[in-house]
Amino acid sequence: MIETQTSPPREVRSNEQAEQEDVFFGQTVIIWARWAVISAGTVLAIWTSHDVGMLIRTIPFFLALIAMNFFLHGRYVMGSPLNRSVVIAASLVDLLLITAIVAFWPNGRGIDSGLFVLYFPVVFGFALVFPRLLEASYTVLAMLAYLAACFLGSGPAAMLSGSEPKTLVMRLIVLAAMGFLGNFYFRLQRDRLRRASTGARSAMEELRARVAAQTRPRARARRAS
Amino acid sequence: MNHAHEVPVPNVLAGTLSEDGRWRWDGSTWRAMAPPPPTERGLSSWAASFDRVTSEDLYFSQTVIVWARWILIAAGLELSFWDARDLTILQIQLAAIITLAFGNFYLHVQLLRGHPSIDVVVYLASLADLVVVTALVGTQGGFTAPVYVFYFAAVLGFSVAFPTVLTAVYTAGTLGVYFLVCSATSDNFPEIFTRLLMLAAIAVCGNLFARNERALREDAVAAHEEALEAGLAGHSG
Repeated sequence: MIETQTSPPREVRSNEQAEQEDVFFGQTVIIWARWAVISAGTVLAIWTSHDVGMLIRTIPFFLALIAMNFFLHGRYVMGSPLNRSVVIAASLVDLLLITAIVAFWPNGRGIDSGLFVLYFPVVFGFALVFPRLLEASYTVLAMLAYLAACFLGSGPAAMLSGSEPKTLVMRLIVLAAMGFLGNFYFRLQRDRLRRASTGARSAMEELRARVAAQTRPRARARRAS
Repeated sequence: MNHAHEVPVPNVLAGTLSEDGRWRWDGSTWRAMAPPPPTERGLSSWAASFDRVTSEDLYFSQTVIVWARWILIAAGLELSFWDARDLTILQIQLAAIITLAFGNFYLHVQLLRGHPSIDVVVYLASLADLVVVTALVGTQGGFTAPVYVFYFAAVLGFSVAFPTVLTAVYTAGTLGVYFLVCSATSDNFPEIFTRLLMLAAIAVCGNLFARNERALREDAVAAHEEALEAGLAGHSG
């Protein structure tokens, strides 16, 4: 027997390479998610400011994010993206700044702030890059951070009055869904890539073969009757 | 891929396939099998899907859409009963959510049985998600309706599953409709702008990642083919 028939499928993409590629390619998603947050925040800060003092209080949040993202994006396009720890640290800074924005933004704070949507792309981007445990920790941290921002910005009494608890739960469910669905898709794609790396047959071909195998005896029985 | 490799090994039966299914032993040489047609992308895929086409990319990513929809249904049901006051609104909500649940059950069963759904069914189901969320937003006051957050789950689902052009069309449609609903009920344009931009950001991030993954897979398959060809050339040499 020749080697191609007896040896196990050849893996052309090692685990180490896979992890590095996840962080490398995933960084683009995180960087673009952050640019979206920056665009929204900067336009809002300039658009909704009624006086100089307000603009001076709000724009530094986004200047900090812009500086960080310039650095990360610059490193990425130069072909030397930052390592895993720095990407995680930058994502934690995102959470911190967004939480501060939700808690202290002058036009509506805490539960009344519509800026909680800034969490969504950040959590989704993170979920597409890191393994399940890290993703789950980050998503839970984001949910706790949002709760803390609501607590700080609105106070416990306002949070528990009227329809606010229902709104809060709805937002938290969607925030958790962003993390869960993003990471679920990430793991599906990892599995497909692993199969492609070993030269495995396309899943679609396998499915068609299975369906054909199930239908063939039935067709034969029909013909016989 | 049409070249053959001489392999002086006599004990392989003619017609035997290599492990990856890409080479066939014809008794004297390994002959390359015809490569599978590339997965269709873009609007042509959408148009072709009326002809009962099923795409591999969509088959895998459909699981994400199905789970996103279950989250939407479960959260929607729970929140409908929580503090319900208006009977008409509750009736509309329940009718929409239960219809969605039946549709999703069918799609989920298809997945579990290993029968991929026809592409156009998946596309229409995602359109139904957007219609249901828009109906809920519309009946709950437009801009002030908190249920608009469900758009995010729906957009996430199709952004990773659909081809880029179709993702762009669906996202643009969602943004357009939601903008109309909001602008008719509020003049808080800064907040409307933020919501729309974040929805667009989810679509861009999801689709960007899906495209990266596709490129990675193509690279991996190409690398595997190169390694295989090098191995076979080594044997024949």
